[in-house]
Amino acid sequence: MTTMTVKDEDPYGHGVGGWLSHVGEVVFGIPDTYRRELKLHRRRTIALTVLVVLLVIYPILNKAFLAAFSRNVFPLPLPDDTVVTFMMIFGIMAIGLNIVAGFAGLLDLGYVAFYALGAYTAAFLASSHWDSISVVFLANVTPGFPGIHLPFWIIVPMALLVAATFGALLGAPTLRLRGDYLAIVTLGFGEIVPVVFRNLSDVTFNFSLGPITLAAQHLNLTGGSLGINPIDAPFLPFANITFDASSGYAPVYLGMFLLVIAILIARNLERSRIGRAWMAIREDELAAEMMGVNTVRTKLLAFALGASFAGVAGSLQASYLGATTSDFFTFSTSILVLIMVILGGIGNIWGVLLGAVALVYVDKTFLPYVGQELQQVAPGLPNPAQFNFLFFGLILVGMMRFRPEGFLPNRQRAAELAGAHTQAEIEAKVDEVVAVDAVAEVEAAIEADPSIALDNLGPPPGQAEASGDARAPETIDEEREL
Amino acid sequence: MDQVIQTFIIGLSNGLIFALVALGYTLVYGIIELINFAHGDLFMIGSMIALAQIAGIWHLSSATPPLVLVAVIALVIAVTMVVTAAINVTIERVAYRPLRNAPKLAPLISAIGMSYVLQNIANLIAGPANKSIDNLFPTTNLLSVFGITTISVTFQQVFVAIVTIPLLIALSWFVDRTRQGRAMRATAQDPDTAGLMGVDVNRTIALTFLIGGALAGAAGVVQILYNNVTVYNLGFRFGLNAFTSAVLGGIGNLNGAVAGALVLGQINAFSDRYLSANWTNAIVFGVLIAVLVFKPTGLLGQQLADRA
Repeated sequence: MTTMTVKDEDPYGHGVGGWLSHVGEVVFGIPDTYRRELKLHRRRTIALTVLVVLLVIYPILNKAFLAAFSRNVFPLPLPDDTVVTFMMIFGIMAIGLNIVAGFAGLLDLGYVAFYALGAYTAAFLASSHWDSISVVFLANVTPGFPGIHLPFWIIVPMALLVAATFGALLGAPTLRLRGDYLAIVTLGFGEIVPVVFRNLSDVTFNFSLGPITLAAQHLNLTGGSLGINPIDAPFLPFANITFDASSGYAPVYLGMFLLVIAILIARNLERSRIGRAWMAIREDELAAEMMGVNTVRTKLLAFALGASFAGVAGSLQASYLGATTSDFFTFSTSILVLIMVILGGIGNIWGVLLGAVALVYVDKTFLPYVGQELQQVAPGLPNPAQFNFLFFGLILVGMMRFRPEGFLPNRQRAAELAGAHTQAEIEAKVDEVVAVDAVAEVEAAIEADPSIALDNLGPPPGQAEASGDARAPETIDEEREL
Repeated sequence: MDQVIQTFIIGLSNGLIFALVALGYTLVYGIIELINFAHGDLFMIGSMIALAQIAGIWHLSSATPPLVLVAVIALVIAVTMVVTAAINVTIERVAYRPLRNAPKLAPLISAIGMSYVLQNIANLIAGPANKSIDNLFPTTNLLSVFGITTISVTFQQVFVAIVTIPLLIALSWFVDRTRQGRAMRATAQDPDTAGLMGVDVNRTIALTFLIGGALAGAAGVVQILYNNVTVYNLGFRFGLNAFTSAVLGGIGNLNGAVAGALVLGQINAFSDRYLSANWTNAIVFGVLIAVLVFKPTGLLGQQLADRA
């Protein structure tokens, strides 16, 4: 195809350099953009500014005085520092899953695996787990202390790389699979990874290949069911700030910092060439391939990039909590992130963020609060905090039935889920075609080959098969109920 | 050698229970291409209902006279099958039928939600701890009649076969020989054409869920009488084993599901015995991934779901 050779006009140049200079321009252009927005949409801009400032200073406000009398002033409890930090962590995860499931339309039910890989990367590289060696590099630990201790700022990119590598490894064999099979394979992967981490606590092997002999007796690779702890907390050297569970709102800002970077990257990806390719694959894989999209590379990138977000979130979670065990990483966590994405609006970054914030709030603040109140009123009743997944399950069923596009829908995706190609629309289109072209020509063609008249009504059979989950509902299916 | 045979016998009883559940997956997938994620949890509900009847209503124990025991167990199986069938049809009506024309992943997500709903309802009613009953059958080794003592076949294992095998044969007869079975096969092949030929497609799909649900209920009773224990989240692991069986045999293919289940029962038993129970799940998932990636049509190929 000749169109493939046309260079797209990119004033910033190609590759990472171009991307960075573009991001730089966006960041430095913020004051100008802000002034322009203020002039054009005064009210909206002021409202958004107030909202963002409130969000940013919320932890301080909460610490300073809201928490003290929130029970009396507000009808609902306010989330504390830990919960807000988890909102950030899950926000990063939801944005990452949104890349795979929302942009590229590949349902990943084992997303927790990458979260686990990120957490264990942090655990391996910033703890005393490998106590027979001592590597201390720029970390907040006295030199000579046993174990590998790298600073959080190095662990984050490492976790990102590890998760992205495994994302691509998982993606590679699954590229040919259709939507639901892909979902099950990712589910299997998500179950295997924690099992591996749980079981590799007592490894004995003896392996020799020519002159090289590898042997180990009862080697504890992963800490087993106890996991690995303590893990070094993130530490900001010059300001002397530690970001652990006991340091109040500091980790909230660390999470916010990573989350903002995640949002920037995801928004850039969405509007980039690769983002458009993802959406093209989601809508119709065969058509995308015909238009010159390299589907293999594009899907692999979706898996790898989506996974890298979870890797970062995992390393933050492990470093923040100071411990990790394989029990954190269950199928339920994958589903929790999926619900965030679906609830907020699959495909829309702000929607999934809203979903993450709302669901973490419900899970970690609201339900325990209701449980507490219920215990006082009627001690015999079950605690709703233990049955959180009853509500989440109902949310999934209800959302799929009544609002599959989520509460802040992505416009394209909503149209697709609502079944843009209804019978009426297609008939209108057919009428249009008939009106514009010569009627006689169509009739003659139908007479010559009656099958093409039917072909007008439905997608060709090959297309329906290849496009998997992303396909529009087949028109004939809609007649079935009649 | 004795150990291997013993493991094989355990694997066989595992496999027969898997087969009952796997058939539910394969029937539903064959007809509407939905991975009914909640099916494993329906099986768990079945085992809970059976447990409630055995321990709560009939107070059965190993001291109960054999004739009464047989009669009551038959009743328990019948009641459980009816209840789980009704639950499954309700689920189809509420959670899947409205999504018949939605994109394919919508019903799958709805099914995952339903799975959690069932799990948590069981947790709510029965509590999070393991629920167990006493073994109702004599523990004598049946092979000691023939003078074999190194390998044992218990009444429990025979019971599994006595319940499972007739059900498998009955299902096979139903699908192959009856009018309704023909309607099911027609709907699986092409729902639109089947509809044009006068098959009530909605009713046929509901019937498929009814049969699948009844089989899951029977499997639940067999499970509680064989392993004597159940728990609210049993369905997830068991369901994935059964689903793997269905995929292994070629999803949509009834004979394949049974064959896959028997193979998977052996994989489970041998992995438990010779590797470690800790790794069994990882191995099952490994098999699942390998089959889906390298031979998605399964070992016996897809029959019911040729259009898949």
